[in-house]
Amino acid sequence: MVQTNNLTFQYKKSKHVFSFPNISLEKQDNLLILGKSGIGKTTLLHLLAGLLKPSNGDVIIDKMNLSSLHDNSLDKFRGQNIGLVFQKNYAIQSLNLIDNLQTRLFLSKKPINKTLIDTLLMQLGLDSHKKSKINELSVGQLQRLNIALSVIHNPKVILADEPTSSLDDENCKIVIELLIKQAEQTNANLIVITHDNRIKSFFQNSITL
Amino acid sequence: MSIWKISFQNIKSKPLYTFLSIFVLSLSIVLLLGIQQLKSSFKHQMNTNLGEIDLVIGAKGSPLQLVLASVLHLDNPTGNISYKEAKKISKNPMIKSAVPISYGDNYKGFRIIGTNEKFSPLYNAKLQKGHVIKNSMEVVIGSTVAEKLNLKIGDTFLSSHGLIENEIEVHATPFKVVGIFKPTQKVIDRLIITSLESIWDTHNHEEEIYHGHHHEGEEHQDHHHENHANHNKEKKDHHHENHVNHNEAKKDHHHENHANHNEEKKNHHHGSHANHNEEKKDHHHGSHANHNEEKKDHHHENHANHNEKKKDHHNENHLNHNGEKKDHHHENHLNHNEEKKDHHHESHANHNEEKEITSLLITFKNLAAFLTFPRKINKQTNMQAALPKYELDKLYEYTGAGFKTISWIAYLILLISGMILFISLYKMVKERAFDFALLRTYGASNFQLIKMMIYEELTIVFLAFMLGFLLVKIGFFFIFNILKVNYTQIILQDLSFTEILQTGILVLIMVILSSSLAIYPIIKMNISTILSNEK
Repeated sequence: MVQTNNLTFQYKKSKHVFSFPNISLEKQDNLLILGKSGIGKTTLLHLLAGLLKPSNGDVIIDKMNLSSLHDNSLDKFRGQNIGLVFQKNYAIQSLNLIDNLQTRLFLSKKPINKTLIDTLLMQLGLDSHKKSKINELSVGQLQRLNIALSVIHNPKVILADEPTSSLDDENCKIVIELLIKQAEQTNANLIVITHDNRIKSFFQNSITL
Repeated sequence: MSIWKISFQNIKSKPLYTFLSIFVLSLSIVLLLGIQQLKSSFKHQMNTNLGEIDLVIGAKGSPLQLVLASVLHLDNPTGNISYKEAKKISKNPMIKSAVPISYGDNYKGFRIIGTNEKFSPLYNAKLQKGHVIKNSMEVVIGSTVAEKLNLKIGDTFLSSHGLIENEIEVHATPFKVVGIFKPTQKVIDRLIITSLESIWDTHNHEEEIYHGHHHEGEEHQDHHHENHANHNKEKKDHHHENHVNHNEAKKDHHHENHANHNEEKKNHHHGSHANHNEEKKDHHHGSHANHNEEKKDHHHENHANHNEKKKDHHNENHLNHNGEKKDHHHENHLNHNEEKKDHHHESHANHNEEKEITSLLITFKNLAAFLTFPRKINKQTNMQAALPKYELDKLYEYTGAGFKTISWIAYLILLISGMILFISLYKMVKERAFDFALLRTYGASNFQLIKMMIYEELTIVFLAFMLGFLLVKIGFFFIFNILKVNYTQIILQDLSFTEILQTGILVLIMVILSSSLAIYPIIKMNISTILSNEK
């Protein structure tokens, strides 16, 4: 459940004020947010994730108003309830694949359930790369690891920023289907922000900034 | 999974950075610890080795040299002083105790010191095994000597002349170990203590060897060695026997001898030695025959005199020969003298007074003596008095400046290594900015990230400290093994826990300072900006 009310944001050194349409998602609702570069897509995503504080308005996730949270409690809330997927995929370089997932669970203070991890890795086709270092993975594998990292802790919301823009058509389809499937399995809302029109057809709800 | 594990994995994944940090840090730790160790060893050695010695009296020369030689046993002595005069000084009422010491020999680089029973109390040295010196040629050794040379009670060894180990000038008379001191951590640990008489004895023997050598060539030297060895073991009795024979039967023989002597010389000297047999006599005859043709004018003069008045010749001979001779010889001659001339007595009386020692270590009864006594010695005698404390303080001032300079260099290196640490850490934090941002989105707090960095730094500091400590130990071990001579001279103080702790804390402060400067960006980090700038 994600809800925003009259959300506006202004960067410190800029006069431009971003104002965003209200969003209201029920359980299991997915949303595609389309828009050109520079229109504030990533800003909106960071506001939703609590990484930026809105100038005005509120973000409410699972009945929790992010404006009421500060510093450590916000970090904790984000870690436990939000999964983030980035454009170019990234994981902690010094840790191997399985350690990345365990670190993710450790930091969000969720129990480390090895069978759950194994099942997830099987579904994503990463089970043979558990001990691989991050720089040994291909782009596609990294993308799937990123999806794993964003859902492993059973988040309420999965926020994806241009998850497919650097992928070819085939991988684009695989990734978006995996994302939707994982969101479904964990009962999470999936919000994808993109300028990639190829994935339009996978979503019922979409807004354009 | 824990913060520790993440830190550990981070360290492992950056071996080059880790190595550089550890290396640079351990280098400055090595310098700091090394200097501290040298400094404290030096200071300790100087202070404790003074013992209760207030004043040193020795031959004129550099007072510092006198102190170094007689108190720290490091330098060569300035020369010798007369034992008779030293004894006179010792009777001064201001003096609590006066310990004569005499130098001259070493065994494998460890100095042999002739002294009396008052020497070891100066250093509070107690016997661990064996007993005190009772006879000539007995020694009590310091614990370091016993350990390094693996000497035990009852062992014997031949000393060599001079203060540095050599195999050329080896004395013939063996010393016997009769006691071993407990370790004192003072200079006495690396000394070999014997009686004054032993030193005089060895040197007289040496003189004889020297003479024999001249007269009779190499072949004879061996022979003499044996001779003297016999001498020592059997000693006085043996001599007595000899002389009994001599005296009873051989007065004529002597005359005969000297009759021969007119042609050949100093046989009667050898006659006084143990193996006065015919075979040998012949041998001497031969060599002296040669000798006469080639050598020394004064010998000829001698013999010229001899032809005319035999007994005078005897007298002269003994004077020349003996130089500073020893007791059993005296007895020898006394036997002779009983039957012979009075002027023999005179010459031996002189003899006693010519005994020399290297220096006199003095403890005063009260402080007032410091003012008058040294000046009196310096003015009224041909000896000098040096105040060890004053001289060593002066020396410490000079070397202290050196230590200070090296210390500053070490601090500078510590500072530089701190800067290197800061720069590489700062760079690493920048490079890892995305990692940190990512960890924050996983739910990590700022505090957890800082903890992670601190763990990494602590591991590096710990490893660097271990390595540095090890390197210092290994370094000193090798240095002292390479310079073996010095090893016998220096007792390395172990660093006290406080000193190690001090260095540790200093390094830690530096690391914490540079780390917090480098970590600061983490606290100020804007996750949103970092994540938006992903490339």
